[in-house]
Amino acid sequence: MNPSSLPPVPRRSAGCLWLWGFLAAPLLLLVVLAAGVASCFRLGSDARALRNELIKSSGVEWRQQIALNAGCLTLGAVRAGLSCVKLDPGARAALQSVRNAGVGVYQLPSGTPPPDRAAMLAAADTAMTARGWERVVGVIDGQDLVTVYMPGKDVSSHRVKCCVTVFDGSEMVLVSAQANLEPLVEYALNQPGLRAQARRLTQR
Amino acid sequence: MQTMIRYPLTIAVLVAGVGFNVLADPPPGQVDFGKIAPVPGGEFVEIQIKSNLLSLAAQVVEKQDPDAARLLRSVQLVHVNVVGLTDENRTEMEKRVRQIRHDLDAQGWEHNVVVQEKDGQDVGIYTKTRGGEALAGLAITVIEPKNEVVLINIVGDIRPEQVAALGEKLDIKPLKDVGAALKDAAPKK
Repeated sequence: MNPSSLPPVPRRSAGCLWLWGFLAAPLLLLVVLAAGVASCFRLGSDARALRNELIKSSGVEWRQQIALNAGCLTLGAVRAGLSCVKLDPGARAALQSVRNAGVGVYQLPSGTPPPDRAAMLAAADTAMTARGWERVVGVIDGQDLVTVYMPGKDVSSHRVKCCVTVFDGSEMVLVSAQANLEPLVEYALNQPGLRAQARRLTQR
Repeated sequence: MQTMIRYPLTIAVLVAGVGFNVLADPPPGQVDFGKIAPVPGGEFVEIQIKSNLLSLAAQVVEKQDPDAARLLRSVQLVHVNVVGLTDENRTEMEKRVRQIRHDLDAQGWEHNVVVQEKDGQDVGIYTKTRGGEALAGLAITVIEPKNEVVLINIVGDIRPEQVAALGEKLDIKPLKDVGAALKDAAPKK
């Protein structure tokens, strides 16, 4: 076949591409914005896995009261926004420490029989261990269940992650956070009296 | 040819390394309390602070309090178990504690303090020494027949007088109490 007999391929002009770009940019921005907003109401993957296992193992229906998540972009924006505002030093230290935080609150409908907390703890352990987390604290006392999980590896004061669950028999609060502890600890240790107390304890 | 030899050799060394790591014995001061599961209606507390968290705590206080950091770095593991006794698990838990004590005796741990109160409370404090003065491990078993069983294991390179300070640092009450007991039991200089 003679190549010269092929129909000419239409070439898009640069102006046309600019037009497409101009039209797509707001749409893309909107999608990114929508995803960002949606992520504010969705817990992180580890916290979601923990919540799902706790709920599944309890064998009862839970009502989600709230689920909020603030990632590094949101928290960075908050930090930048509040940088000119006069804040309590403790609050500022806390704000500087937290890199990512999520909280979920779930409630049992009234009249629901109390779920088996031992089974919930065992299921949570299985789910979190599979994801490389270790249970640091587990407490079952009366109606209460408290768990604290931290990653088994890669723990440093610059990057501490933890997942905490507190269930009081009717309401379960799940908090996950990632933080750089140094600003907070520096603030705490600079409080008058605290350093002297710490020294006294080690010299006992 | 050299490459053909080198790669399998490297892989063999790596596999052996992983194997040895997996099969590596736990530190001499570590005690295996076995799997303790909570029972319905019974109290259950488990705290397990490993060396990664302890060194994190040490990192955090390093600048401000080097003594505390040194203390935290000398510990590899703090494991506390409190299990409430119910009709369902009382016999099994008491039997398990006796078995743990028997195993510790058999493994050459020193049985330092035995307290058997009139109300049936039974406390055993066992130590595994490293050299003359430091402890490689500390194990405490407490049976309170009406209430609970408490099992504590601290692993590291620790001096007895540091145990109370460690309890204060980590805010673990049984450790504070044991620290005080060890201090009282220590020979006066």
